[in-house]
Amino acid sequence: MSEQDKLNSASSIAPTLDNQSRRQFIRGFSAMVGSATAASLLSTHAIAVAASYTANADSALSKGKVFTQAQLTSLKQVCNLVIPKTSTLGAGDVDTHGFIDNQLFYCHEALEQQAMVQVLSLIEQMAQQQFSIAFNQLAFDDQFHMINALDRGQGSFTAQQRHDFKSLKKLICFGYYTSEVGASQELRFDAIPGGFKGSIPYSKDDASWGSKGLFY
Amino acid sequence: MNDNIYINKSSEVYDAIVIGSGVSGGWAAKEFCERGYKTLMIERGRVVEHRKDYVGENKRPWQQPFRTRIDNLLVQEQHKIQQQCYAFTDATKHFFGNDRDLPYTTTPGTEFSWIRANQLGGKSLLWHRQSYRFGDYDFAANKLDGYGNDWPIRTPDIANWYSYVEKHAGISGSKENLPNLPDGEFLPPFDMTVPELAIKEKFAKLYPDRALIMGRAAHLTKPSKLHVEQGRVQCQARNECQAGCSFGAYFSTQSSTLPAAAATNNLHIAPNSVVESLIYDEKSNRVKGVRVIDNDDLSQREYFAKVVFVCASTIGSTQILMNSTSKKFPNGIGNSSGVLGHYLMDHNYNAGARGDFDGFEDEYFSGRRPSGLLVPNFYYKPDAKRKFLRGYALAGAAYREDWRSTQHQDGIGVDYKNSLKQAGKWKFGLHAQGEMLPRFENQMRLHPTLKDKWGMPQIEFDCQFSDNEKNMMIDASEEAERMLIAAGLSNVTRYVSNGAPGLAIHELGTARMGSDPKTSYLNKFNQSHEVPNLFVTDGASFCSTAVQNPSLTFMALTARAVDYCTQEMKSLRM
Repeated sequence: MSEQDKLNSASSIAPTLDNQSRRQFIRGFSAMVGSATAASLLSTHAIAVAASYTANADSALSKGKVFTQAQLTSLKQVCNLVIPKTSTLGAGDVDTHGFIDNQLFYCHEALEQQAMVQVLSLIEQMAQQQFSIAFNQLAFDDQFHMINALDRGQGSFTAQQRHDFKSLKKLICFGYYTSEVGASQELRFDAIPGGFKGSIPYSKDDASWGSKGLFY
Repeated sequence: MNDNIYINKSSEVYDAIVIGSGVSGGWAAKEFCERGYKTLMIERGRVVEHRKDYVGENKRPWQQPFRTRIDNLLVQEQHKIQQQCYAFTDATKHFFGNDRDLPYTTTPGTEFSWIRANQLGGKSLLWHRQSYRFGDYDFAANKLDGYGNDWPIRTPDIANWYSYVEKHAGISGSKENLPNLPDGEFLPPFDMTVPELAIKEKFAKLYPDRALIMGRAAHLTKPSKLHVEQGRVQCQARNECQAGCSFGAYFSTQSSTLPAAAATNNLHIAPNSVVESLIYDEKSNRVKGVRVIDNDDLSQREYFAKVVFVCASTIGSTQILMNSTSKKFPNGIGNSSGVLGHYLMDHNYNAGARGDFDGFEDEYFSGRRPSGLLVPNFYYKPDAKRKFLRGYALAGAAYREDWRSTQHQDGIGVDYKNSLKQAGKWKFGLHAQGEMLPRFENQMRLHPTLKDKWGMPQIEFDCQFSDNEKNMMIDASEEAERMLIAAGLSNVTRYVSNGAPGLAIHELGTARMGSDPKTSYLNKFNQSHEVPNLFVTDGASFCSTAVQNPSLTFMALTARAVDYCTQEMKSLRM
C-alpha cells in the first residue's frame, strides 16, 4: 500500500464514524416531532435539508466530506474531461465534484465511497508513474488520454478499475444532468408541460428532455 | 378545509362511521354525507391537506437535497420495505409508512412486501391511477373453472355504479368494445406516440384478439363541468402525481371525494385515531362503534355510530375485524365461517419482455404522460390446454432513450457530451399483470404475542405465489417476447422475476363476498353475513383478482354498498 493509499483509506473511515451520529440524529429527530400534524411531514425533509448539497462556486477550494482537497481538485478536472464546456458549462464548472462528494457521503455506502476514493488515487498514481508529475499538472491531452484509456480499460488498466471508473462516470452524469445547467440548459426542461403531445418533430441535434418528473 | 371538521373526543352517535380515508373510505364518506347522514371518517394517520401539505411537489431535481435520491441511513432505519415501491422517492417518501413503527412478520420461507400509506388520503395519494372495470368473465372466473367461490355479483349489478364513480372521479380512456374489458364513461384518452401507434397497428393485424389500448387512468385529460366545479383542472402531464397534485388533475380523496363530503357539512374527521377494534353489542347483534388508540399519545377513546364501514385497506380492515373478538365471535367479529384472513391475493408483476424499435428518429413527444398502454387479458376464457388457470394483461409504453441509458457508452469529452444530449433509440416493452388464484392457504393472521406500539397484534403473513402463477409468468414472458418480435422489434429480451406478493400493491381478499355465509364473510352488498350494520367495501371483499387494477372497483362497490345501506336504514331494517 502506497502512502497515498494509506491516506485515502484513512479519509474514508471518517464518514463511517460520522454515520453513527447521523443515525442518532435521524432517530432523535423522529422521536421529537411525533406525528400529529403536517409539521411532521417536514421532519424528514428537515433532516435532508440540513444535510443537503448546496451548490458552491467550487468545492475544490477546501477539503470535502469524502475526498481530500487534492482529490476534489483532480475530480473537478475529471468532471470537465468527461463532460467539458461546449456552448454550455461543463460538469466541473457547475461543481459536480462537490455534489458527488456530498452525495457519496449521504446516499452511498462506505464501500462505494472507498471505491471512488481509490479511483482518484489510481489516477494520481498513474500520473506519477507515467509522467512523474501530479495529474492536475499534466497537459490536457495527456489527461484526456489517460482518462479515456481508463474508461475503455485500455493499457495497463484492469477490468475492475474500468468498472469502478464507470461508477464514478455515472455519478458525474447524474450530478451534471440533474444540475440546473445540465437539466435546463444543456437539455430541455419543462416543469409544467401543460399536457401530453404524442408527436412533435425532432431533428438530430435537438436536446432531449431533461425533465423527468419523479423518475431520475 | 374548515378546521372544525377535525375532532378528537366526541360522544355523539353518528349515523355512519367510515374507517379509513383512502379510495374506499373517501367514497363511503362522500356517499353518506351527500345523502344527509352525519358521518365520522376515522383516519389512523395525520392530516394531509390538499395543496398545502404536498411538500415535495414541483421541486426541480437541483432543488432537492439529494437530487431525488434519499439519505441511505434514513432508508435503512425507517423505510427498508417501503423503498421497494417504484414511487418511493425524496418527493414522496413522507406519504409512505415508517417501517420502524409498522412491524410485521412472515412465515419462514415466505415473503410479503406490505406498502403502507397511513395518512389522510391513504394510498389514494400514491396509486398509479389505472382504472378498469371488471367484466362478466372476471366476475364469473371462479365459477367457470371452479377455483374459488363465485362472486355474488355480475356486471348488471355494478355497471351503473361504475358509471357513477367514473363521472365524478374522471377517467380518461378509449371506448374499445372488447369482450373482456367493459368500456366506461371516459374523458378523452392520452395520446399514443407514433411508434406506439405503429405497434398497435401491427398487433391489430397479427393478433386480432390482443388489442393494444391506451391505459385508462384517473387523470383529467379534459375536465367536465363537474370537475371544474370541484376545483380541478386539466392534467398538466408532469407525471409527479405521487408527490401530490395541486391542480387536482387526478383522482385522490383530497382532490375529489373529500371536498364533496365536506361541502355537505355532514362530515367530521378523527385523524390520528388508530382503530383497535369494533365495539360489538351481542344483545342487539350490532356494532356500536369503535375503540381507538391515539396515534401520538397512545390514549384510548371511543366513537359511536349506527353503521360502520370498514375501509382501512385490505390488510388493515381484516386486522381490525380479527382483533374484534367477543364471546359470540372469538375468532373475529362476523367470522363464524372462519374464512376471515384467508384467500389473500395480489397481482403478479413478475414477467415481461422489451426491445428496440428502430426508426422514428424524427419523432418525439412533449410532456410526461402519467399512464401507459395495455393489452387486456386475452386468456379470459378458460382453456384446459393451458398449463395454468386465468390470465394476464400486458402493460407497456414506448420511450426514447436519454442520458440515463446512453451514459453507459464508452468515451469522454465533447463527442460524449453531444451524444448524451440527443434523444436515443426508441424502446418498447410489455410487462405482465397476472391474476393470482384465491387459495385458502394464503393468509394473514394475528401474531399470538407480538404487538405494535399501539398494542395491536402484529400481522403474520403466510402467502406465496403457487405453481399456477409461476407457470403463467413463464407463458407471459414468452408471449410478450413473441409479440414484440412479430411487431418488428429488435434485441428483444424476456425476463421472469421473483418479486414477493404485495409489491403490486393490489392486496385483495381476506374478507370475501359470497352467497353462502358458510364460505364467505360478506354478502353481495359488502355487508357482513352475521352483523347487519357492518360493511367492508375495500379490497378485502374481493373473491378473485382478475387482472385489472382494482381501485375503480373499490369505488363502485363502496358507492353501491352505501346506497344499499342507507335504503336499509330508511326502512328501519338496520
